[in-house]
Amino acid sequence: MSGTIEGRFFLPAAARHVPARASAEADRILRIVDEGGAVLAEAPALAVTVTARLAKLTRRFDLPGGARFETDDNDGADALLRALRKWRRGRFTDRLERAWPIAGLSLLVSLLAGTYFISQAVPIAAEWLALRTLPDVAHTMSEQTLLALDRVALRPTALPAADQAKAARLFTRVAAHAKGGTAGYRLVFRGGGVLGPNAFALPDGTIVMTDQLWAFVKADAEIEGVFAHEMSHVDHAHQLQRVYEATLVPAGLAVFTGDMSQVSQIGAILPGIILQSAYSRRFESQADDDGAATLRRMHEKPSHMADLLQRIDRSVCGKEGCPPSWIGNHPDTPLRAARLRAEDKGPIAPAQDCLRPWKTGISLRCLGWD
Amino acid sequence: MAESLAQLEGAPTVLGVEFRGRGTEYFRIWIVNVALSVITLGIYSAWAKVRTQRYFTGNTFLDGHSFEYHASAWRILVGRAIALTLFLGYSLSVVFVPVSAGLWLLVLAAALPWLANSSIRFNARNTSWRNVRFNFEASYFEAFIAYVVWSAAAIALFLLIPLTRRVHDYFYINHHRFGGRAFKTAFPAGRIYVIYLLGFVVIVALMVAVIAGSAGLVVLATRAHDVLGRFSIPIGRQNFMLLFFALFGLGAAFVSSFVTTLVTNLSIGRTTLEGGFRLSSRASGLRVAWIVVTNALLIVLTAGLYYPFARIRLARYRMRKYALVVTGDLDGFTAEALGAQSAIGEEIAGFFDFGFGL
Repeated sequence: MSGTIEGRFFLPAAARHVPARASAEADRILRIVDEGGAVLAEAPALAVTVTARLAKLTRRFDLPGGARFETDDNDGADALLRALRKWRRGRFTDRLERAWPIAGLSLLVSLLAGTYFISQAVPIAAEWLALRTLPDVAHTMSEQTLLALDRVALRPTALPAADQAKAARLFTRVAAHAKGGTAGYRLVFRGGGVLGPNAFALPDGTIVMTDQLWAFVKADAEIEGVFAHEMSHVDHAHQLQRVYEATLVPAGLAVFTGDMSQVSQIGAILPGIILQSAYSRRFESQADDDGAATLRRMHEKPSHMADLLQRIDRSVCGKEGCPPSWIGNHPDTPLRAARLRAEDKGPIAPAQDCLRPWKTGISLRCLGWD
Repeated sequence: MAESLAQLEGAPTVLGVEFRGRGTEYFRIWIVNVALSVITLGIYSAWAKVRTQRYFTGNTFLDGHSFEYHASAWRILVGRAIALTLFLGYSLSVVFVPVSAGLWLLVLAAALPWLANSSIRFNARNTSWRNVRFNFEASYFEAFIAYVVWSAAAIALFLLIPLTRRVHDYFYINHHRFGGRAFKTAFPAGRIYVIYLLGFVVIVALMVAVIAGSAGLVVLATRAHDVLGRFSIPIGRQNFMLLFFALFGLGAAFVSSFVTTLVTNLSIGRTTLEGGFRLSSRASGLRVAWIVVTNALLIVLTAGLYYPFARIRLARYRMRKYALVVTGDLDGFTAEALGAQSAIGEEIAGFFDFGFGL
């Protein structure tokens, strides 16, 4: 009968083994014989458990009573199981795992799923969660963040009272035209320290402006543009979205790949940084567009903010402006400035979204080329 | 019988461990399993886990016999479902009821010893060599002392970290059994402090290198951009901190694998198994750290495709450096253990044992 395979036979509870052959006999009986042909064991196919096929691993047939037969001949084992009319466990999976074309297809599927996860699922889930986070939580988070920043980076403000009053007046004027209204945002003054000329928004509506930023301002509309930009961050809960995105990406990776070992964690650091900045650039573009819309409602020109951005850029990096960056949180300044200037005449097409190239088209700019 | 006699007379035999997995083979298994996990929304990942573990265990050979992994994917699926439920419960309640965070910490502290015991026991009982199963026997209380009390002490007082590491290693090794016989390790606390001191020296050296390195890279990239313009990778001066963090991550991985390797050498190297057996581990800390860091870099450069090769490369080196030193009678030992095992009945994972580890 076909389906005779070579292997080793172990008696119940014995560590020593003898060379043996297994064959399928009539009535679905598995028979094990030694080299001389003497029968070592016989068992009905249904009572035998066989390990699933995987790569070149030894196949093992557990017989009732504790005896076992082992073989390295995986194809032979499958033929034997077929003759015994028994389920060839792992045969299909093993075939998939063996074929290079299937590996290529799997790669494609994984890439597509990964792209969908990163570009659609994560932003949507993060936005959903961020907009439903309780104000209490947002408030606590904001307080903690500001406390931490005060300790390591920021200093108390040295801005004269008159300047503070003026900034507050402009701030209220912008807030009245923004989504959250005058009660939705709060302006806070700080010395910039290492953060330099800067402004940023916290989840609960607190907007921090550094003294150094104020020093750069030449026209009222410039700082109004900045305020409108930061208010958009508050409206969309961008800060919270970033927190959720930072949690969702590794969680998804762990669920899909089933691995949280050190190797994969370190391997994820740099892509993680690039991904974070890609998410972040989207928020900045959105805030620029929203801010421009707010300014137009106030009958001011969004291009004033572009003047401010480029003035700061030149003072930080010299005449040519700062070179474009691969991993920066903000889109490159010349691009932002050009967009803001174009916004003077009315809304323009949404900024290029490198996460969703099918909507806005893809260019090498998405990889940092200019 | 002749060789057994020689063994009885006390000439120790060193049995090497060998890993026979191959990168190109594992690559296909890995990518197919990832794709199947993705298609089934993560459910298949339990089966993927079993196949991966079987591949690595089954390709590890000691004295010409491979280890075997027997876990059922269903149990791993249940374990993961429990873990995911806990995680979701935790995440949602922390977002919507902030005060509950403290409560969760207590729940976790109470559940941790049980979770640890359960998953270590699950892995041990599902692993065998020459049909003899491993086992893990520790009480909730012992796990509580090791993982909760000592870990809390280490968080409170950093100087206790090496000592806590020793407590964890003792707990893990000394409660493992093979064929009913106990593993036992013991080493002086001074040795582990020396290793951590060495790790600290490496940290200081790396810190200097990382700061200089990221500053140098920024300068170099800026210069390159001035010359090459659009054809260079744009890294600006403003990215110094990001580069610093990326390099710091690699440095941390280097130090932690360096220290882990030396500690493993120490704790495994001092481990005995009743009946005249001793384990040995002689990996080079620098070599393992080098493999881990270059693996991480290659994974990044290949957009993740190098990952399966990285695992094989590490396993191949790591396994080669383990060995079993035999002064007793291994065949006799295995036969006896098998007899004892079948007398108790094939003891498989208990009802409450699940594979929790992701």
